[in-house]
Amino acid sequence: MSPEIFFQIIVNGLFTGGIYSLVAVGLTLIYGVMIIVNFAHGEFLMLGIYVAFWAWTLADMDPYIVIPFAFAMIFGLGALVQRGLVQRVLDAHPLNQIILLVGVSILLIGLVQFFFSAEPKAIHVPYETAVISAFGLRFAIARLVAFFASMAISFCLYLFLHYTRTGKAIRAVSQSRDAARLMGINVNFIYYLTFGIGAAITAVAGVLLAPNHRMIPTMGQGYSVIAFVVVVLGTMGNFIGAFLGGLIIGVVEAFAGFYLGGDVKIIASMMIFILILLFRPAGLFGRKRT
Amino acid sequence: MTAENPATTSNNPIRSWLKDIFLDWDRTQMVICFLLVLFLALTPLFISSTYYLGIIILATIYAFIGISWNIVAGFTGQLLIAHIIFLAIGAYTTIVLFNTYSISPWVGILIAGVVSGLCGVVVAFITLRYGLKVDYFALFTIALMVALRTLFLKWDYVGGAVGMWFSLTDPSFDKMIFANKAPYLYIALSLVVIGLLVQYRIYRSKMGKYFLAIREDDDAASALGVNTSRYKMLAVVIGAAMAGIGGGFYMMYVTFIEPPQVFNLGLNIEIVMAGPIIGGLGSLAGPIVGALLNKPFAEIMRGALAEGRSGNSLIVYGSFLILTIMFMPRGVTGVLHTIYRRILNRLNPRNLGDS
Repeated sequence: MSPEIFFQIIVNGLFTGGIYSLVAVGLTLIYGVMIIVNFAHGEFLMLGIYVAFWAWTLADMDPYIVIPFAFAMIFGLGALVQRGLVQRVLDAHPLNQIILLVGVSILLIGLVQFFFSAEPKAIHVPYETAVISAFGLRFAIARLVAFFASMAISFCLYLFLHYTRTGKAIRAVSQSRDAARLMGINVNFIYYLTFGIGAAITAVAGVLLAPNHRMIPTMGQGYSVIAFVVVVLGTMGNFIGAFLGGLIIGVVEAFAGFYLGGDVKIIASMMIFILILLFRPAGLFGRKRT
Repeated sequence: MTAENPATTSNNPIRSWLKDIFLDWDRTQMVICFLLVLFLALTPLFISSTYYLGIIILATIYAFIGISWNIVAGFTGQLLIAHIIFLAIGAYTTIVLFNTYSISPWVGILIAGVVSGLCGVVVAFITLRYGLKVDYFALFTIALMVALRTLFLKWDYVGGAVGMWFSLTDPSFDKMIFANKAPYLYIALSLVVIGLLVQYRIYRSKMGKYFLAIREDDDAASALGVNTSRYKMLAVVIGAAMAGIGGGFYMMYVTFIEPPQVFNLGLNIEIVMAGPIIGGLGSLAGPIVGALLNKPFAEIMRGALAEGRSGNSLIVYGSFLILTIMFMPRGVTGVLHTIYRRILNRLNPRNLGDS
């Protein structure tokens, strides 16, 4: 393998991994605060990409302009799902939580399929296939933008969690719900906020995919599974772990795709997932579970 | 219900027999189940449309698959989300044996049960060996499903991406191909009856009590001397074997199978999860009650909302799951149980004790 191909694969892997990171950060945030695995997570990405498609067909809006609207819409939806549904099963048997979220996921897929049909859709923008060449490597513009936007959003979220009062409150709730409540934090509000943010940044990941990615209503399931892999790899609830895990899985998939062919690459992630679950269920950044 | 009025204690054998049945909620549930089976068995007499009969047959198959999942998820509380893996393996085993080795489906379905059961042993062994619990177990099964889907897509022996099917030739009992739908219904119903009896036997046995203890509190059960790994594995293997048998028959009924269709969370919810959850997970009557409610209702909605749009059945299943969890977490059977207790209570408050 020539060095150009080697680095090209790494670049491609990082570009995919950037999106995975963003999706996984959303999932890990929700898990860290509420200790529920959001089985409907990928559907928020799917909603994001369909919001972009909708805006594009309706008003010919560029996907990048849609980002704030998608963020706001899906933030509202996420907060609503938390408030109306998830909140009521927080203390229930995990089976009930999972069934509820699987129900939400199926419902969202069904609704999108109802309004947009199950046919694959795509957005067409002028820069769809534009490419920059540098250092002997090729960078697709849309993917380059998606990568740096993902990095920037993850970084902003990190700053938000560490340097604002609300962000600190979110982290406090994730450390101890009861202690946070005793300190006067409105725990329920933090829950709505967290689910909203987690869903919204995932939707933004979807919008970032929109310029050069076909969409189908069931596409979210694949991303849910990838996000589970990433989050387990990077330790459930660990922000940095999810972020790095996304990049790692992206690169691993790119190499697997190169050697084994496009369809089989998911087997590589699944093998990593299964091996981690079996041998290091606490993930790369976690202490051993007792 | 009037005959079992406990206030009139008499030595009438029929009366005491009825009391034996109806004062016990488990047995009452079995009576409900068998009344439903009887009703289903009579449907070909007054339904001639093959479309409606087809829905009823599918609902019956779903009831059987639901029972198999109920034993794993309902009794032992293991989050075997992607139970459809075992159905798919059973279906593939049956069709490969039928197409490639000309083995009659009657035998093939039984072999499918064995193969699925063995896969259940492997899955249970891996997950128990490394002590995967709750969420991680659920994630593991989903990952396995995705990996198997890709594997089956690439595996030419089982048809790869093209899938497998058999051509409906002349009706032949050996090949489990019939001219009309009624025989399929009766085979499916026999499976359901066997499933119900197996489920009941397990539930009433010592093993069943261990299963429930594991569901309620894994660690406590272990501390009290229950070999939790052994019983968890047993539950998975029984459930997997039954799902394999059900999958084999499902294959013979739908005649076509391809990886994206069966290794699919949507179908998993439709076939495996919706029935027991709506009916009442962990109860005896739950799977059959739920399957008979959700499949026909989803079909009606599909017809009512069609207008060339897809996604209706997903909307229906999604809403059903959400509404069930929000408003009746113990399912329809849970509601029936409440009504049952009220009736008993009105008849004689002293009988409330054990049911």
